Amino acid sequence: MPASKIVSNMFKAFHKMLYSKRLSILTGLLLLPFNGYASGENQQIVDQLVKQAVDNSLWKKSEWLNLLHYNPKGNGYLSQVDDENFFYAEHGKESPQEELTATLKQLFKYAENPNQQTQCRYIARSEWLINQLDIKKSLLPLVNCEEYLEWYEQAGADSITLVFPAYHLNSPSSMFGHTLLRLDKSEISNSEWISFAVNFGADTSSDDASLMYAYRGLAGGYPGLFITEPYFKKIQEYNRIEHRDIWEYRLNLTALETDRLIKHLWELKTINFDYYFFDENCSYRLLELIEVARPGLELTDEFILTAIPVDTVRSIEKAQLIESVKYRPAQVTEIQFLLNELPEDQQDIVLQLSKDFSISTKPEFNLLSPAQQKKIVSISYKYLRYQNAQKSRNPAIVKLSYQLLNLLNSYPAEINIDSSIPPPIFPEQGHKSKRFSMGFGESQDKQYMDIGFKMSFHDLEDNKNGFLQGAQINLGSINLRVKENESLKLERLVLVDIFSLTPRNNFFEPMSWMINTGFERQLTDNQDQLVYQLTGGGLVVVGNI
Amino acid sequence: MKKIIAGLALIAVSSVSFAEAPGGPNCGWGNMLLEGKSGTGSHLMASITNGTSGNATFGMTTGTNGCSTSGALTYSGANMVSAIMDEFSEDVARGQGDAMDTVAVIYGVQKQDRETFAKVMHENFAVIFPGENVTADEMMASMEKIMKADSVLSKYIA
Repeated sequence: MPASKIVSNMFKAFHKMLYSKRLSILTGLLLLPFNGYASGENQQIVDQLVKQAVDNSLWKKSEWLNLLHYNPKGNGYLSQVDDENFFYAEHGKESPQEELTATLKQLFKYAENPNQQTQCRYIARSEWLINQLDIKKSLLPLVNCEEYLEWYEQAGADSITLVFPAYHLNSPSSMFGHTLLRLDKSEISNSEWISFAVNFGADTSSDDASLMYAYRGLAGGYPGLFITEPYFKKIQEYNRIEHRDIWEYRLNLTALETDRLIKHLWELKTINFDYYFFDENCSYRLLELIEVARPGLELTDEFILTAIPVDTVRSIEKAQLIESVKYRPAQVTEIQFLLNELPEDQQDIVLQLSKDFSISTKPEFNLLSPAQQKKIVSISYKYLRYQNAQKSRNPAIVKLSYQLLNLLNSYPAEINIDSSIPPPIFPEQGHKSKRFSMGFGESQDKQYMDIGFKMSFHDLEDNKNGFLQGAQINLGSINLRVKENESLKLERLVLVDIFSLTPRNNFFEPMSWMINTGFERQLTDNQDQLVYQLTGGGLVVVGNI
Repeated sequence: MKKIIAGLALIAVSSVSFAEAPGGPNCGWGNMLLEGKSGTGSHLMASITNGTSGNATFGMTTGTNGCSTSGALTYSGANMVSAIMDEFSEDVARGQGDAMDTVAVIYGVQKQDRETFAKVMHENFAVIFPGENVTADEMMASMEKIMKADSVLSKYIA
């Protein structure tokens, strides 16, 4: 065991001792001569408050249950937080009531590190309790939450946006999209790029081999954490590297609600939740944050089996939380749009210029108007960068890119070449994620009835509005068949079914691919047999889908 | 509907590991203009959990990790400018854009002076970006020199 580990374990043990119920009285007594808070009188006040809280069944309130992430389980409750540091009571994870009493008592105690003072560390639940029980601040330890205030300086926001980067077929997780929150300060205009992006994801620092990695991601086993980073990193990641359009839904939370969300976020700093790909994922956790912000909302109840990001968008829409929507097209979407605006001969010049700078001295370029030239240079540059975004630095490409930038700079800034790209149909307006189907038919002179259930999420034959064009993604679909005079049988069980169909043209040369695996009943040797099948392949598609 | 299928190959599942992005766990300073973002591409399973690997951050000032602070910007401010250097260079060449606004915000340039900032940057493209191998610290040093010499922008450079 390395020394640092031993020290950290010792620290943990000490921490535990400090907060265990049995010793808390002792800690209080030790501090008594210095601050005198636990006088007989104060002890009475605490007892009285506890009684008041119990009498009013405060622990049953949805605000408390949300703040501690309790869900009903059997006759009781279970918190989704998988981190003992999050609870003061020994059985805090299972008992909202015990936890409330313990927190209340803790409020009156002094912590050695002022930033670990309950009012600082768990600022949202402290404030809620203080409000509910009308506790006079003068009775509580004086606090100055330095670390929190320092963080709030950066994170403090007056508006919150739910961000939904749309689907992307080359990465299985993103095929369902992803959601994150952005905290904006409106007093600084145009600062979205440096707004805080709040992301819930798995901490995968232990480096498994990738199969194990995938398994643990799906089945659970990675700790999930909230992290924050500047939003431009997300723009770079989604818009530029992964070629995903981003949808931004600004929420209509009040200042008070926004503040509550940010304070609760602080409570979740370094707190672990186990991460599950299908249900307890990024989207689920963000909805919980919004529930904390606006008490009374029930956004997570609908997600029993799966929380698919686009469904979370639907649920905030249903709860009338959306104030406005902004569409931020991927770099590739932008390039495609700008190219389509050009006549074909100018598209050719774009393509040539992105390979050979000398085209800029040829008459077919020089005879164009400055505005047309500026447009062509700008698109050529964007296209060249797009092509090389995932490649390592190549001196020739870098030189050409720089030459194009220099040329772009030679046109006056006043020549406006901006085009606003019309947003496609909003993703939440696409069809829903689950499908029941029924059908009748005849096979081998027998009539049958089919019942099907599809878990997620989109077929090529479905209405494509709001979805990535040419993409089929289904994980888990089942078909049962009843034949005349026979019992119900499994007809087909598809575990994974992905079809990515992307057409090529002069500018873009994507690979199309498909994979499908599952069980299927087939007529083999004149007998119905359930067989396992796996199909996969890559292909090249030219023309329109 | 025309569709020509011109090839068939088996899917190869690759697992390229993530390269550290600019401004990532290591020192973000000194990255170069027009850098490729190699390796950050489609890693089959890496983003299944929308994960982060180690170094999970909760504030934007991720602390100093070996870089010294210089110039007028704080470490995190300079780090941010350096991380959006590519986008910024395109906006400077063009004369405006989101990255231009963002850099102005990071330098504390007030709304009423942003237009001047954009104009001055655009006019000095060749000074700020003298070649394709310019580094982020060189870029910021030139910018600060130019801002200092400008009657409107000098107040933003201490």
